[in-house]
Amino acid sequence: MLRLVFFAPALLLVLLFVAYPVFATIGVSLFSSDGSFVGFGNYGTVLGSPDTANLNGFPKPPPYGTLIHNAIWIGIHLPLSLFLGLWLALVLRDVKGASWIKTAIFIGMVTPLIVGGILMLYLYDGNIGVVPSFFNLIGVQSLATGWLQHPVTLLFGLIFGSVWLWTGFSLIVYSAGLTTIPKDYWEAAKVDGTSTFRMFTRVTFPLLKPMTIVVITMTILWELKIFDLVFGATNPQGGVGGAADVLGLQMYRYAFVQLPANVGAAAAVATFLSILTMVATVATLRYMVKR
Amino acid sequence: MKLRLRSIVIHVFAWALAIAWLFPFVGLLMASFRPIPEIIGGWWNFGQFSPTLDKFGSAFSKIGTGLGNSVLIAVPGTLIPMFVATLAGYGFARFSFPVRDYLFLTIVLLMTIPQQMVAIPIFRIMLGLGLANTVSSLILLHSAWGLPWIILFMRNFISSLPKEVEEAARVDGASDFKVFFRIVLPMALPALGAVAVLQFMWVWNDFFFAVLLCPATVSCMPATVALIRTIGRFEFDPGLLAAGSVLVMLVPVAMYAVLQRYYIRGMVGWTIKG
Amino acid sequence: MIAILAAVLVITNVITGLSVFYLAQPAATTVALCAGSAGASRAPPAVSQAVQVTIESSSSGFVVTISPPYKTTQATIKAIGPWAGPEATPFLRVLENFTRITGIPVQYQNIRQEDLRTILPTQFASGTAPGDVIFMVSSFIKANGAAHMVKLTGNISDSNYIPGSLDAVKVGADAYGGVYTGKIKPGFWYRKSFFQAHNLTVPTTFQEFKDLLVKISKISGIRTPIVSGDGVGWPLSDITEHFIATYGGAQMHRDLMAKTKAWTASDVRAVFADRLIPLLAGKCFSEPLEWNTVALTNWWGGLHALYFMGSWITGLVADPSDLGVFSLPAQAGITRGIVFAGDYFFVPKYTANLAEAQQLAGWLAGKDGQTYQVRQGGNIATALNVPSSEYPAVDRGVANLTNGVDILSDLDDTIGGDFQTNFWSQLQLLWVSPGQLDAVLASIQSKVPA
Repeated sequence: MLRLVFFAPALLLVLLFVAYPVFATIGVSLFSSDGSFVGFGNYGTVLGSPDTANLNGFPKPPPYGTLIHNAIWIGIHLPLSLFLGLWLALVLRDVKGASWIKTAIFIGMVTPLIVGGILMLYLYDGNIGVVPSFFNLIGVQSLATGWLQHPVTLLFGLIFGSVWLWTGFSLIVYSAGLTTIPKDYWEAAKVDGTSTFRMFTRVTFPLLKPMTIVVITMTILWELKIFDLVFGATNPQGGVGGAADVLGLQMYRYAFVQLPANVGAAAAVATFLSILTMVATVATLRYMVKR
Repeated sequence: MKLRLRSIVIHVFAWALAIAWLFPFVGLLMASFRPIPEIIGGWWNFGQFSPTLDKFGSAFSKIGTGLGNSVLIAVPGTLIPMFVATLAGYGFARFSFPVRDYLFLTIVLLMTIPQQMVAIPIFRIMLGLGLANTVSSLILLHSAWGLPWIILFMRNFISSLPKEVEEAARVDGASDFKVFFRIVLPMALPALGAVAVLQFMWVWNDFFFAVLLCPATVSCMPATVALIRTIGRFEFDPGLLAAGSVLVMLVPVAMYAVLQRYYIRGMVGWTIKG
Repeated sequence: MIAILAAVLVITNVITGLSVFYLAQPAATTVALCAGSAGASRAPPAVSQAVQVTIESSSSGFVVTISPPYKTTQATIKAIGPWAGPEATPFLRVLENFTRITGIPVQYQNIRQEDLRTILPTQFASGTAPGDVIFMVSSFIKANGAAHMVKLTGNISDSNYIPGSLDAVKVGADAYGGVYTGKIKPGFWYRKSFFQAHNLTVPTTFQEFKDLLVKISKISGIRTPIVSGDGVGWPLSDITEHFIATYGGAQMHRDLMAKTKAWTASDVRAVFADRLIPLLAGKCFSEPLEWNTVALTNWWGGLHALYFMGSWITGLVADPSDLGVFSLPAQAGITRGIVFAGDYFFVPKYTANLAEAQQLAGWLAGKDGQTYQVRQGGNIATALNVPSSEYPAVDRGVANLTNGVDILSDLDDTIGGDFQTNFWSQLQLLWVSPGQLDAVLASIQSKVPA
């Protein structure tokens, strides 16, 4: 019975400040702002709202709604950061001073995301930013303006910015993963005369599967939860016309910015977001729990 | 010869990339110590160059308290969950009881929950406890919020430790607590180092919980919120904001520079070893 | 920087015979400086020459106590305002004069209005208030006035003000707050030297305005005729309001504010479509610049000729005497309005010193109090009969623009909340894609609170 002492403080804290609030949020999501029970009404309202999904008249520039923005985020950010990190990890094996380069790239991971968002103001500013200046230099005038002032460049600019911040993660994980693969594998493949590409698809990538699973899981989680970056770079509306609005921000706005607050809808957004993160992780979680 | 060329190209490319990777930070730094009108057209123009630390001074006067609060929050917000979670992690690794695995999985599952999912009830609880707008509310919340991942991490680590020493001690009549404090805790130190740097960084960098529980009160605002509050309702000073951003990121970046191996162990350890 | 400010303060104090210590010392310091205080204790209230000023300052705000230089049994009344540091100096001067004339001691404390928003409701609920005269945003006064504030209609009456000044704090015919001085958003600023050099004149019709923009756009070195400062969103809304208040008229502005008119209504849409959109589509405006500092620098440096900004611009430029300003040209038959960002205050019901508080309120709202404030520059009076000779030269032209127009409250400030941030972000969208006018108006309308 004394052994309960090992668990008690942890269980108490988790129950009170994590588990209970999770269920309480689900409860809140079933009620309207005036306190009447509406069942899944808030979910219907949220999912039907142009804030969440708005593809009328597509193709058109953003806003497409938070859900679509998060999806676009995953669609662009996941492959880019994953393969960029993997590719760098492979290349850097043969580079002198690789640890310095890794350090430089990993700084993005330790930077507070809110600062990351603020950084976007400077990076993409039409007058002082390095990105518009670069496009001015190479003569692409349409991209030589302030990126955060235009809906399309705002959304994609923030996504690219988040790739810049996050690539350090996959780089580090893959680098560590590569050190666990014995050199013999490659030697053997080389003897067989396998091409570099085939070596990658047949040997390296399969051996890195555990790392890939981890990177994919953590990255999707990060993309779904993205909030600080957008908040720092834009405003509570998600920037120009809401072009960079995301689920996390939508929830915050509904509950803590707008007046009167719509707590029910906010809770519905939060629950919906949680369901998405669960779906994204349930399949891979077992790899992270040591049997 | 061909190989040499390839190697040179790779080196040049890799280093160029690393430098380019730092460009946005350089831009921020330039904006923080050069007058904004001077860097219109790009910070790489040095036609006029009058660096000054003025903005750092005024930024510090605005977010100095915030930096202090961040320390006040992050230190206990790291130590408390570390201790509590190591206890539980040890329990999950070594004791067996009926619902252990389900309980453990539930806790792990909570790790994936977004902060937004607890925001509304947490806000109400803290208000009810009279803790809203205090440093304590953030310490409590971060302590609880850090538990799932630290429990998972520590359980994985402790499971990989050899049982023999503990068993020998038990045979000698040591209690569970004695075993934990005398044997397990010292052996877990390397893992705790990794946990400490990561948890500290996450608490320090946190913005959502901070803006939830202390949106505007000087006495509890951590640095991340204080930084955002330098943006006025109507006006903000880009130089000051840049300087403030540099100050806020200085702590986690410096810590990373010094304790790099713990970060990597932490990022990688709990995901790959398992 | 702090040293210069301190020096400026000391000099002004010597001149006026008053003493203010403002130093950002970490610990609370109490300094009572007063010339000739030894013999002053017997001086009668109305003719005392100086007052005692005590300042406590900390990183979170500061408290200044102004008392007569003799022992007094008068209760000290507490004023709360949003100004801190050097910004507060002109206001403190006004309070000092109040104490000098009435003998009532006043304590000034700086509390930000964001913070008041959280402090006031809890205090009201328990029947208390943090001060006796409190400066607060007008929408808050309007919303809570009937329940928690003293009706000021008795000592503050409409007829003493520029029309419309009190609308923002009135519920029906009752004013629950008073209006002090404020800043106006008069129109487009230009550099006189630039206009002279290129032989440009101030337009008197909309057509002339458009011609002017065309003419400017042909000047070499000009990027766009107008620079769009964007700060955190509001300068665009100010420009938009100026178009509405000029070409839709003051009444349209009021109706939108009162939510009795829809943004999608045809006459509102027409103001956008006929006046603003052609200029946006014609690249007369720059894209919104995130930072007003940059907008200001570029405009002052000649990359743009016109800059829409509030009257506080006079404090932002190197040479205020080079500044000229004009409002959008009037349209016959439409009563124009100009947006006035007034500083509003109220007296809470829970004050223990009602009479004195009302006296201070009357002083602030009246011609005398406001005269002291505008004399120090940067503000425009709402009280009538403040002679234009009292204004510093740069403010005089601005004050004159208020002749014959209605004073309007800031539209998005008044509605506030989610509407405001959405309004800002939608206008940012409109600025870069004027073709989306209807979608923008629909979105703005969708966030109008019920």
